[in-house]
Amino acid sequence: MCSVSVLPGVIMIFNTPIFFAFFVVFLLGYGFIFLKHKPKVYFTLVASLVFYGSWNYHFIPLLVGSAVADYFIAQAIGNAASQRHKKWLVTLSLCINLGILGLFKYADFALSSVGSFLTLFGYEASLPTLAWILPVGISFYTFQSLSYTIDVYRGDMQPRKGLLEFTAALAFFPQLVAGPILRARHILPQMHDIQLPSFAQVKTGFLLITVGLMKKTTADLLAGPAATAFDGQQTISVLETWSGVLAFAGQIYGDFSGYTDMAIGIALLLGFNFPLNFRVPYFAVSPVDFWRRWHISLSTWLRDYLYISLGGNRNNRRMRNVMITMLLGGLWHGAAWTFIAWGAFHGVIITATHYLSNLAVFKPFAASNNKFHIVLKWAITFYLVLLGWVLFRATSLENAWQVICDMHSFGGALPAASSLAITIFALVSAALILMHLLDYFVLNHSKKLESKGWLFWPLLVLGQALCLLIGEPSNDFIYFQF
Amino acid sequence: MTSSISNSRKVYLKVWLLVVLGMAVAMSLVRLFTFAMGASGEEFIGRVVGSLKYLPKITQQQDDQVMVFGSSMVEAGFSPRQFDREMKQRGIDVTSYNFGSGGLNPLFQDYYSRRIRDIYQANNKRLKLAIIEFNPFQTTKRRYQGAVASIDGYLGMLASDEELWQLAKEDPTRGALIYNIHYFRDDISAEMITYFFGRGLQAERPKPDADPDTEEQVALRRKLGDQLSEQFEKDYPDYVDEDWSYNWQGGGTIPAERSEETLKVFEQYYESLRTPYRMASDKLWREISADITELRFQEELVESFIKIVKNFKQFSDQVEVIMLPKNSRWIKNSSEALARQQAVIERIEKATGIKIIDYQNTDRITPEMFIDTTHLTRYHGGVVFTNMLVEEFADDLKASDKKTVP
Repeated sequence: MCSVSVLPGVIMIFNTPIFFAFFVVFLLGYGFIFLKHKPKVYFTLVASLVFYGSWNYHFIPLLVGSAVADYFIAQAIGNAASQRHKKWLVTLSLCINLGILGLFKYADFALSSVGSFLTLFGYEASLPTLAWILPVGISFYTFQSLSYTIDVYRGDMQPRKGLLEFTAALAFFPQLVAGPILRARHILPQMHDIQLPSFAQVKTGFLLITVGLMKKTTADLLAGPAATAFDGQQTISVLETWSGVLAFAGQIYGDFSGYTDMAIGIALLLGFNFPLNFRVPYFAVSPVDFWRRWHISLSTWLRDYLYISLGGNRNNRRMRNVMITMLLGGLWHGAAWTFIAWGAFHGVIITATHYLSNLAVFKPFAASNNKFHIVLKWAITFYLVLLGWVLFRATSLENAWQVICDMHSFGGALPAASSLAITIFALVSAALILMHLLDYFVLNHSKKLESKGWLFWPLLVLGQALCLLIGEPSNDFIYFQF
Repeated sequence: MTSSISNSRKVYLKVWLLVVLGMAVAMSLVRLFTFAMGASGEEFIGRVVGSLKYLPKITQQQDDQVMVFGSSMVEAGFSPRQFDREMKQRGIDVTSYNFGSGGLNPLFQDYYSRRIRDIYQANNKRLKLAIIEFNPFQTTKRRYQGAVASIDGYLGMLASDEELWQLAKEDPTRGALIYNIHYFRDDISAEMITYFFGRGLQAERPKPDADPDTEEQVALRRKLGDQLSEQFEKDYPDYVDEDWSYNWQGGGTIPAERSEETLKVFEQYYESLRTPYRMASDKLWREISADITELRFQEELVESFIKIVKNFKQFSDQVEVIMLPKNSRWIKNSSEALARQQAVIERIEKATGIKIIDYQNTDRITPEMFIDTTHLTRYHGGVVFTNMLVEEFADDLKASDKKTVP
């Protein structure tokens, strides 16, 4: 990896000293040297490519190529005389983007799956594999780029002039490798007219960076208990299995939402507004509600560009469309049967929710605002989400099944929980709650805190100090692999 | 336009200052916290730091010097002043030093030996003889994995500025991390603090399948320990507690300084330590932390050991590699482990050109000469082993003495 990096050995992860150094230098150029619009955009693009190339510069042409292709395709769609011509062009964009994604991310999985399938029928098929490195963030920027051509095709936005701005927007380093997935209509106007951040934006930016750091640190600390449950190295108690599954739920949430919080915070310091990507997801009271709160930029992308394209709720095909959307959503996360199973599981529970909500017997319960009913709905949803995370985290479907069995092996052959296991369960639960309280606070009460400077800044510094004091900064972000 | 440019600069000056000052204050708080906790990198390797502190003074002496370098097994099993006395009786005038230190694996020892080399070379001094311990169970994968959390902190403490810079050039991410740990965190990494606070959440140390010590055994051990402490205070009223004692050349007291009665109490005390439960527990821990029976070697640590030997060659007239005696009653390696060990020995010998002197199975050291499954007792095992080293190297030192006589 080192030999193909712009800066050999550098991996720009937001919570590392090397990113801090990068950002401090970047800010000098961005805020003091490149003050006019065009030089600022050039500088942002170059810095973003250095940021991306620090991981592997071989993939810079792929990123830039993707941007250039979609830029010109969008221009051509805008100038196309007929709808048929537009359709051809948007299909070309789809083929390019999904082709790149398929080649790098899914080709080997498809080949090995075909091989396994043929073996089932007695054919010894040893198909060659590409064994290519998966470019970091490819799933994010291809979806982002694709949204532009689709929006132009649908007439939701006009093609914009300025290849430089478009490429800079697509490669903009705060969101480049792990989102949020920005829509062209959201980011391009901002890149065209870069604003100075207001002091309120700066304060919110710092708050989000600190909260993100805290969530990321917590996520790293939860990695240990999660691994204990999923690695299958030792026989553990039912409680430890639950601790592990809860810990993974906390780890993936803290890791991903922490990263996007930092991304949104950094963008705010540069005068950009990114949309919210998480809204206390484990407070969801139904699977549908969960997807309105979890990875919002992906779920809305899938809704707007896939689900609606399939027909949405119309023509009594809701069930089919939900299943296709969720299966592809699962596949988006990675080329493995566990991710497909995770997507399918969510498809099934969303469909089941729709179905049950329409039954006369369940309708009052589904619509009820009674506190007990809400708690019950929350508990059922959280349980289902946890089962989903087992599929997501497991190394194989067998591993997932084993963990699910272990979770429910009450009175079975598993050892009794020790007092240490109870302590760990309590700590894991506390970490999960803490992260959600942090989010809830940011969503609902941050303005109050931001108005009290004497409390706001010391708290922020204290939070950052806490994150610097403990943790395991060498851990990568889980979502980089997607 | 000018006003918008100046406004932009003003806004970004604020942002930039908030980023930099915020981080500076946060780092200061971290530093303050570690200071308040009394935590510093030196706590972890106090003996190493202590030895390096005295090394400039040692290298300014005009004497012939011998250094025994290795793990806590060397620290416990080699007595410098005993060695010097025995050599003197053979007409050889040397000063030996014990540079054995616990808690280090060859990766860290490589950097430690570089610092020793730097000081010897800076003072134009050479060692007459360097004896380096090759410790197989310190070179295993498990040993390496157990030290992963502290690697960056230890490197911050042991690497020179040039080495840190080289590391930063080769791997800026890691370099930035280690610089940060070294200059801003007093060599205490975030992992070390997490590990420290998380100790209570680690799985309990497994217990051996043996009956725990009886209350009588525990009481006897305590009584003997107290008795020895009192005697020590009487015998050495001026003793200054140091991790590495300059006056004792990095070693401890020697039998010649203690009364017969005290030595007898020591024997009883050692025996009280060797209860079946304690020995089984120690063995189990060595299995878990160092894979002492199966010896699955970590490539990187073997390479580091070879580097240690090469470092010593740069400032020593003679370099020897030894393996310390093994407590064969407790440590019984499998045939696969022995084959792996033999392959590593051959590799080290080939890479360094030095034949390893293997004392692991010497019949002069019995299980009763160990304090636990690996360490020799100071007044018995350590003395016998030190005398064995005298016998091994006296002729070499005599010969080199003659060579230097004009």
